[in-house]
Amino acid sequence: MIGMSARAPYGATARPDASMSLLTNMMDHSLDEGYAEAAARRATGHAPPSRPGWVLAAGLVMIGLLLATAALQVRDRAPAAAQARDALTAEIEQRTATADRLEADLQELRASVAAARDDALGLTSTGSELAATLTGLEAVTGAGAVQGPALVVHLEDADDAGTEGRTDLRAGQSSTEGRVTDRDLQTIVNEVWAAGAEAVAINGQRLTSLSAIRSAGEAILVDFRPLSPPYDLIAVGDSQTMQSRLIDGFGGSYLQVLRNYGIDYTVKTRDSVRLPAAAGLPVRYATVPGQPGQSS
Amino acid sequence: MIAAIGLVVGIIAGLFLEPTVPQWLQPYLPIAVVAALDAVFGGLRSLLDGIFDDKVFVVSFVANVLVAALIVYLGDQLGVGSQLSTGVVVVLGIRIFSNAAAIRRHLFRA
Repeated sequence: MIGMSARAPYGATARPDASMSLLTNMMDHSLDEGYAEAAARRATGHAPPSRPGWVLAAGLVMIGLLLATAALQVRDRAPAAAQARDALTAEIEQRTATADRLEADLQELRASVAAARDDALGLTSTGSELAATLTGLEAVTGAGAVQGPALVVHLEDADDAGTEGRTDLRAGQSSTEGRVTDRDLQTIVNEVWAAGAEAVAINGQRLTSLSAIRSAGEAILVDFRPLSPPYDLIAVGDSQTMQSRLIDGFGGSYLQVLRNYGIDYTVKTRDSVRLPAAAGLPVRYATVPGQPGQSS
Repeated sequence: MIAAIGLVVGIIAGLFLEPTVPQWLQPYLPIAVVAALDAVFGGLRSLLDGIFDDKVFVVSFVANVLVAALIVYLGDQLGVGSQLSTGVVVVLGIRIFSNAAAIRRHLFRA
C-alpha cells in the first residue's frame, strides 16, 4: 500500500492491473533472471572461460536422482495402505473358510454322534422313546437339522443404497436409508416366530434361542457371522398360516414400511426346505437340575 | 548431449541404488521435486532463448530445492507447514506453466 501510493505520483497513469502486480510479476519473471544476467555478462566480454560440461552433468545427475528417488518413494508408499487392506481381506477370507470347514466337520461329527446314540438308544423301548423326544427337542432348539414346508422372506437393499455402503460425510455417520438393518431383521424374525415358525434361518444361519442379530459397522452379524445382502429368511412351519399371519399382522405393515424406503421384499412359500443345525449351542452357566453340572 | 547422459545416469542410479530417504526428509521430497522441475523448465526455456548458462542452471536448481525445503521446514515449525507448502507449489507451478508456455511458443510457434 505504501509502495503503491508512493509510486503513484511518478507513474503518469496507474496500471490497470496494479492490483494483480504480484501475479503479473510472477508471470512475467518466470525465467530466472540469472540467465539474462549471464547472457549480458557474456555479451560484454566479461564471461569467464567456458567451463567443461561436468557442472551441467552433475546438476542433471542430481535432478535425475531426485526424480527417481521421489518416484520410488511414491510407489513404495501408495500401495502400503492397499497392501494392508488386501492382507486383511485375505486373512478374513481365509479365517472364514477355516470356520466354514470346521463347521462342516462339526456337522459331520454331530451326525455320527446322533447315529451312534440312536443305535444305542434303539436297543430298548425306553431308549426309543427317549430318542424320539431328543430328536424333537433338537429340532425345536436348533441343535438338529430340520426339514419341512417353509415361508421364505426375501429382503433386498434398495438399488441406490450402494454395495459398499454410502457414508454421509456431512452428517458424520453412515446412512442406513435403503439398507436392511439388524433392527429390521430382528423385527421380522420376531414376527415370523409369532406367526408360528418352528425353525428359522437367515442366509443359512440357523437361529436358536441364544442367537443374536446385531450389526458391526455396515455388516449384519448373526451369531457373529457376517451376512451379505440379499437376505433370505426361511421359516419352517405351516407355511400358509404363517404367510397369512405375517402379512396380516405387524410384520406385513413393517415390510410395507421397508418398501417405502426402497427395500424390496417378497414372501413366498415352499413345499420342502432343509434348514441346517445351528453352528453352536454353548450353554456356559445353565445346568440341568438334578444332574451333575456339564460344561457346554 | 552430456546433459541427457547426466539425466539418464541420475535416474538409473536412483532406480538401482534405491537410496533410502530418512523419515525427517520425506515431507520435503515432493516440494524438492517441484522445485527441480521448475529449474529444469527454466533451463529448457533459456536454452531455447539462447541464453542458457550451466552455472546459473545448477545454482538455481540447488538454491530452489534448498529454499523450498527451508520454507516448508519453517512452516512446519510455525504450524503453517501445509499452507506454506501450498504457497510454494502455487508459485513454482505458475512459473513452470509460464515457462512451459514459452517453450511451447518456441517449439511450435503457437
